[in-house]
Amino acid sequence: MQRLSLADKIHAGLLSIGVAGLVCAYWVAFFHSDLTMPHFVHNLTNPELIQFTTVYIGFESAFPLADLFVAVASALSAFYLIGQDAKAVLFGLIGSGALGFLALIDISFNYLHGLYAPAVMLRDGGLRMEVIINIGCVVGSFWSIWRFWGHPLRRAEDRVLRAPLGGADLTAGEPSGR
Amino acid sequence: MIIDQPLSCFLAALAIGVVVEATARAGGVWTYRSRAFLLLNILIIFGLVQGLGVGWVIGGRQAFGGIAPVLFMVGAVMGILVEGLNDYWWHGWSWSDRPFFGIERAIDKAAFIGVAWGFVPVFSVAIARLATTGDIGG
Repeated sequence: MQRLSLADKIHAGLLSIGVAGLVCAYWVAFFHSDLTMPHFVHNLTNPELIQFTTVYIGFESAFPLADLFVAVASALSAFYLIGQDAKAVLFGLIGSGALGFLALIDISFNYLHGLYAPAVMLRDGGLRMEVIINIGCVVGSFWSIWRFWGHPLRRAEDRVLRAPLGGADLTAGEPSGR
Repeated sequence: MIIDQPLSCFLAALAIGVVVEATARAGGVWTYRSRAFLLLNILIIFGLVQGLGVGWVIGGRQAFGGIAPVLFMVGAVMGILVEGLNDYWWHGWSWSDRPFFGIERAIDKAAFIGVAWGFVPVFSVAIARLATTGDIGG
């Protein structure tokens, strides 16, 4: 098997740690702490805010199943990318596309409910973190889609045989230009 | 016998590990390079990592319906990591040449089983709760 290029190593690292790992860490933190919560959810004096908090937490709680899909697809993409297998592109495009889709839904909700207003963000560290996550997800997903679309593995066929114990690699349809 | 939930999560994952490994052995799905890898896999990956680590630490005290997707997510990502480490570096177990649910290539079998690891913490927590309280807990 050829050595993995530096760009592929970075891409695999971003998919496995930056997406799959951080998505898992986010949901563990969501269920075990207030780290991922904006500060306004603790304001129990304003009835309107209490009502909105219920909507906000209900909205956020709908994401784990969809994020499961993103995390697993991204981890599989990294797994196949390290093995220089064409399925890296399939799972990469699925995972990155789903990540971008979910980020845009989140951005849409936050924007329509005024959570990006400068005055709101200035006094809420939780929302500032939310913005960073939103931007990171959109930029990362589109970069990943762009990179996979131009990747040599996109035109490579699945390798038919792989040496089971890491010996000589019996492959067909190796990617070209790597 | 009433036992506490961390221990029951660990034991449930161990039991799942024994059943999975026995089934795989009977069906000749994968083979271990040495018996030590088999024992380490059941004890550490099934019991400690997926049962106690993921199952109990993440899902031990949460409503089951809410935390189940997170348990599967973390379990599957850990599983893909374990299968990747084995496939590319450890080579502790290897796949038979026979198709597995129609999957022929070793790398695809590893990916499939990697995702299937996600069920281990989910079932560990469910079994542990049923064994200790008789209720899955929401």
